[in-house]
Amino acid sequence: MTTATLSRWNRFRESFLWYSFKRDKVAIASFIVLLLMVFAAIFAPLFAPTDPYDLAQIDIMNSELPPVGMPGADPAFPLGTDAQGRDMLSTILYGTRVSLLIGFGAVVLQAALGILFGLLAGYLGGRVDSILMRIADVQLSFSTLMVAIIVGAVFKASFGNLMFGEIAIYMLIFIIGIAEWPQIARTVRASVLAEKKKEYVDAAKVMGFRTNRIMFRHILPNTLSPIFVIATVQIANAIISEAALSFLGLGMPETQPSLGSLIKSGFDYIQSGSWWITLIPGLVLVVLVLVINLLGDWLRDVMNPRLYKG
Amino acid sequence: MLAFLVQRISQAVLVMFVISVIAFAIQDGLGDPLQEMVGMSVSMEEREAIREELGLNDSMVVQYLRFAGNAVQGDLGNSYFYGKPTLEVIFEHLPATLELVIGASLIIMLLSVPIGVYAAIRPQALLAKFFMGVSTVGISIPVFLTAIVLIQIYSIGVTVEWFPVDTGWGQWLNGALSTDGGMPSYGRGDDLTHLFGTWHSGFFSEIGLMHLVLPCVSLASIMLPLFIRLIRAEMMEVLQSDYIRYARAKGLSAVRINFLHALKNTMLPVITVGGVQVGVMVAYTILTETVFQWPGVGLMFLEAITRSDIPLIVAYLMVVGLIFVITNTLVDLVYGLVNPTVKLTGKKA
Amino acid sequence: MKSDTPLLEVKDLDVRFAVRGGDLTALRGISFSLDKGERLGLVGESGAGKSVAAFSILNLIARPGYIAGGQILFEGKDLAAMSERELRKIRGNRIAMIFQDPMMTLNPVLSIGTQMVEAIKAHRRVSTKAARDIALSKLRKVQIPSPEKRLDQYPHELSGGMRQRVIIAIALLLDPEIIVADEPTTALDVTIQAEIMALLLDLCEQENVALMLITHDLGVVSQVTQRMLVMYSGRIIEQGPTREIINDAQHPYTQGLINALPQMGEPGARLFQIPGSMPSLKNVPTGCPFHPRCDFATDQCRKTMPEYVRSGNVDVACYEVSNLIEQEKNMQEAGS
Repeated sequence: MTTATLSRWNRFRESFLWYSFKRDKVAIASFIVLLLMVFAAIFAPLFAPTDPYDLAQIDIMNSELPPVGMPGADPAFPLGTDAQGRDMLSTILYGTRVSLLIGFGAVVLQAALGILFGLLAGYLGGRVDSILMRIADVQLSFSTLMVAIIVGAVFKASFGNLMFGEIAIYMLIFIIGIAEWPQIARTVRASVLAEKKKEYVDAAKVMGFRTNRIMFRHILPNTLSPIFVIATVQIANAIISEAALSFLGLGMPETQPSLGSLIKSGFDYIQSGSWWITLIPGLVLVVLVLVINLLGDWLRDVMNPRLYKG
Repeated sequence: MLAFLVQRISQAVLVMFVISVIAFAIQDGLGDPLQEMVGMSVSMEEREAIREELGLNDSMVVQYLRFAGNAVQGDLGNSYFYGKPTLEVIFEHLPATLELVIGASLIIMLLSVPIGVYAAIRPQALLAKFFMGVSTVGISIPVFLTAIVLIQIYSIGVTVEWFPVDTGWGQWLNGALSTDGGMPSYGRGDDLTHLFGTWHSGFFSEIGLMHLVLPCVSLASIMLPLFIRLIRAEMMEVLQSDYIRYARAKGLSAVRINFLHALKNTMLPVITVGGVQVGVMVAYTILTETVFQWPGVGLMFLEAITRSDIPLIVAYLMVVGLIFVITNTLVDLVYGLVNPTVKLTGKKA
Repeated sequence: MKSDTPLLEVKDLDVRFAVRGGDLTALRGISFSLDKGERLGLVGESGAGKSVAAFSILNLIARPGYIAGGQILFEGKDLAAMSERELRKIRGNRIAMIFQDPMMTLNPVLSIGTQMVEAIKAHRRVSTKAARDIALSKLRKVQIPSPEKRLDQYPHELSGGMRQRVIIAIALLLDPEIIVADEPTTALDVTIQAEIMALLLDLCEQENVALMLITHDLGVVSQVTQRMLVMYSGRIIEQGPTREIINDAQHPYTQGLINALPQMGEPGARLFQIPGSMPSLKNVPTGCPFHPRCDFATDQCRKTMPEYVRSGNVDVACYEVSNLIEQEKNMQEAGS
């Protein structure tokens, strides 16, 4: 077991992926920043000075305090406080956690849907293919954000505000996953079409393997690298979609804020001069999305897969 | 040509059918017309009578056909909130959104083509690398955040006091980084020119134009990096091709090679993507209009959601769907006209 | 046939590709000349550097390739040292090119007429009407059916053979001194290859245009050209009158090429093959690049690149050949 993991580690260290990673300063910096943010988000309860979900810890008298370095700041709140008197650092840590959770969850869901439908469409072809891809076309022409907004609006209208707030995390994962599956499905389909022509698939067919086995055990592993590349970028997209939905009031409630709902709640106070309530979470969101996008760019350059174009 | 048109239109009809089914399902599942029409005091029997009268007890198919039939005749019901036909409400709000989209599209077209082409022709130039870096960052900034930052900088104003105020250079730097603000960031302004019907335009007065600046820049900011990257990538691929080398072998000037031979081939895929992006742009208008309280259909739609104005939501879906279908069909047509290798049968020759 | 100053003279041309981890040498010490109206063949396997040589004449090598040394003298002026502006006046005007694949050569979104007229207007101040007339006359020369119609058509509406005719017409538009044709028939159907080649040969003879024909087809070279160069791994290993080389090749590689032609063997006999394959640019062997595949290779061949020696009218770079010449000379001296 240990020797196996050790040799796998060695193999990784000799791989082209690791080699090009070592040479790319942007990729290394992005990875470190992302790692720090994920770490801080996962262990938010340990790092955060206060628990923003706990109403007892909030004092309205502390509202709209500016961050340290500005006149009137309180060192107890390094990034200042929001309009309800919540510590900004804590709300941002917890908010990053929610954003990452939804982004990651949504990509897991869309990858599951996208891989399934992409494999089916690519491998079976014919009518299945044209129906699935037509649905994907229509959805994409509407834009994933539009679909997410509509589905979100329908859910919100049918569940009511309160109910929606309670299950918002799952709803958002579902909405974004549903809205964005065509991206991955088209990529998978394109690689399946390319893989299908290769000899090993014919060999597997001749050997009498079942369709399921050929699709999942033989073709799927060979389409993983484009899936991996696009999934990375999709996490960034999902985080932005979540922020947009929350900003429109179709996402996380203020009591359990994501970065998007923090920006939204802060926006109401920007005219009164309290820019930090909206712009600091905004900056965190941009940095988070940017490092993921930069890593995605790097991965795409290194793995150079056949991504679906257009 | 005729075959192409028939194929495209039948496809568009199919898509509109799917959209109308979804819209109908939403209306049927969420809207209860009775609640709006009658009070709580009405008895069950009376309710039942009204239901029967309204045809709510008919089969789903019959109800859908009635819905679709009315829709084709331009009747998508009355808005609960505005108390008038939903289409009328939408057409009142549509010009504001269209002006936003037109303004943003102008910015995108005027900037993305020269920058993308430049970055493709001189990929190693410092300025090109700068543009590409900015594009990568630009893609990572959500449109509403760009809007908020623009409001902070150009509407509210920023006072920078980071540098020592008792030195000349400190004052200069502080001054250079500070902004006065004052750009309008709310609504369309009060000096609109009446064009026709419900269309009032902000393009013809200074106040109107000033109000357009920040929203249009915000809306353009999200698509601009995408188009720059797309144009650069396509152009670089085209520049590698044999026919470009052949054009050089013929002794043509660099200007003719880059801006006729290469650009024409570059723009073909860009047109297709651009058509799809119109859909994305409509989604982003919802965000932009929310930030700037821009009285367009996006803001109207969001308000309809908070007010549970189901008929208006449904009508918005139908209208937006129709706009998508029409633009996509038009884009295909234009593509067919521009690209001689497409024989307008929808298939590549 | 030879005049004092050749029309085109390439001297010691080196072409390199700048890639990560140093330069790769694609052409090394290429020297040859082309006279007015002469037809010169450039033969070799793919990867030998034939196309690079063709493109380097007009300084059209794709990046990261560049001319690292040597001269390309056209009427005494060095094309390798010319500015892009001056070069443009030569390209298409004095020296025209025909590319390999007619499917990829013409711009798909511009009409044939546009692509012909622009070539004329790039070099001559004429009206569009006059340019169209020139284009039309050249289209007639290449025997395209209904030439008037072609001007308004797009490349995809023509067959491969027709497109190559158009490209030949474009090459003739400005009555150039030289046409460089890079495998002009390889991408075409076998049935029309001979037809197009015959047309090209005819027109070059008629108009007294010098032709530099790049091909891997020895049969074509022997029918069309008067002199030929044999390239191997970026070097010219043998050059001289075509007839002499085809009848009595000196270099073991050229001999191998000729023996590999099907018609040389008996019916039903196995085709001859040169063992091994040409080295890639990344690991060119020391000495003579052909030595790993050569039956006559000696230690000397492995160490240093042989100089050219003259045998009859042919220049050959091979120690075996130079040793044989040496021996003959000695025997003659001993005999006399």
